Amino acid sequence: MLGKILEALYNKVIVNIVLKRSSCDVYIELYSKTKIVDSSMKTFTTTTLTSEVLEFIASYTKESPYSYVAVLDISPDQGAIPTCTKNQLSLYKDLASYEYKCFNEKWVYFTLKNDLYETEKFYKEIGVDFIFSPFVVLYNFFEDKVKSHIALYILVQDSYISLSIFENSQLLYAEHLDMETSTDDEMLSQVMDDEDIDLGESSGIDLDDVDVIEDMEDLDDFGDIEDLDSLEEIDEFSDSQDIEEEFYEAAEPIIESNDEEFNEDYQRFSLIQTSLGHYYNSSDYESQFIENIYIADGVGVSSDLKRYLEEETFLNVYIRHLDIPMEICALAKEELEV
Amino acid sequence: MKYSYIAPKKKSAFTQEIQLLLSFFSITLLMLLVTYAFLLYKNYTFVEDKKELSTKKIELEKSFLVMETEIAHIEKQKMLSETVYTKNTVLKDSIANLFDLVPLRITLSQAQLLKNGLILYGITPNKDIYNFMLQAPLRSIFHKTYSSFYPAKNGWYRFVSTNYIDEEEIAIDE
Repeated sequence: MLGKILEALYNKVIVNIVLKRSSCDVYIELYSKTKIVDSSMKTFTTTTLTSEVLEFIASYTKESPYSYVAVLDISPDQGAIPTCTKNQLSLYKDLASYEYKCFNEKWVYFTLKNDLYETEKFYKEIGVDFIFSPFVVLYNFFEDKVKSHIALYILVQDSYISLSIFENSQLLYAEHLDMETSTDDEMLSQVMDDEDIDLGESSGIDLDDVDVIEDMEDLDDFGDIEDLDSLEEIDEFSDSQDIEEEFYEAAEPIIESNDEEFNEDYQRFSLIQTSLGHYYNSSDYESQFIENIYIADGVGVSSDLKRYLEEETFLNVYIRHLDIPMEICALAKEELEV
Repeated sequence: MKYSYIAPKKKSAFTQEIQLLLSFFSITLLMLLVTYAFLLYKNYTFVEDKKELSTKKIELEKSFLVMETEIAHIEKQKMLSETVYTKNTVLKDSIANLFDLVPLRITLSQAQLLKNGLILYGITPNKDIYNFMLQAPLRSIFHKTYSSFYPAKNGWYRFVSTNYIDEEEIAIDE
């Protein structure tokens, strides 16, 4: 009782930390009972909790004993499974050494227990209160779309890409990709695995077997190729387009890439394409035809990524900018029921 | 723990500094309360003692009055006893004087001492002996003296002598 009264007297301080490849974003929000009292965002060029970072955090946390630290799980070994039924989880992954949570009784997100301990150890000086999965962040960010659209939803971070396919809030497929460990060779091998490249006897063309006349009959089917000119008039394609998202996207500034960003975006594109291929080819997952890709951009991807995806996958791609620390903060507030 | 892998640590407003401050204030407050309680108790005992003393005082005052009354009564009794003693002494002396007054030849049969007089009954051989030897001293003591004689069978005389002191004259003398 006394605790509740005291809690009401103090502001709540929510410290949100997102570690990047070479920097660290700290977003702090001070919350009174009903409104935001103060907020501050600062980027430090360090990936450890230096005295500068700790001082910045302490300057806010010392004001209230009710301070909470929320971080995004950066474990490379994490993911999500499209079921919540315990006896079906093992069909997808052995979760003995993983910590997992069921989301809305529909799907499960998991992470390696050791990585969680490592994260807690890393933040031992300030103590960590919440560790959120990027899949939860992604779901919450695209909550309006996830509930009604079947699409590929991607959270792009500095070093990671979290992909998930949702249909009416139900997860169909999810993958967490680490850009630093996924080398080009690996990507190539994945591509090679996915494509049925058969160099055996069946791949050769025996000209004797070619029956030109029969084949010509088949070619008659191409007589309708002229119809393709009128494809633009077919409404079916336009139905899959998200007009609302296009308006939203038009308001966003277009980012032109430099060489380094170009490489990264290409890498991202490759990973996404590979992952999409994996989804379609894997028998473990329920394959559904995807028409849209929604990208939550947490780093500022260039327009090239969108262009690649649109040209190579023939899907509608929508990019929405995402401030990851703020999204984490929103989740922390939900946890705290602020 | 709706979305997070871990549960938040329990937060409390009672940090170490606050705990130290609170314990300091609590001890101070406790000491003040103890002192206050002690003073209240002392005050209570003082008031009780005061009440008891005032009750005792009233009782003593009452007993003083009773004692004063008793003293007055005893003094009165003493005065009365002294008066009685004095009167008795006077009476004794008077009776002794009276018997000294009676000559040997006269025999008294009865004497009545009155408040302001004396009545004597007796036998005298003759009137002269009575008149000279008894009546004369009685006349010197009493203002009024009356004598009457009755002859006895043996020739002697029975007499009744009534003597009074005039009180008005006594008052004038005083």
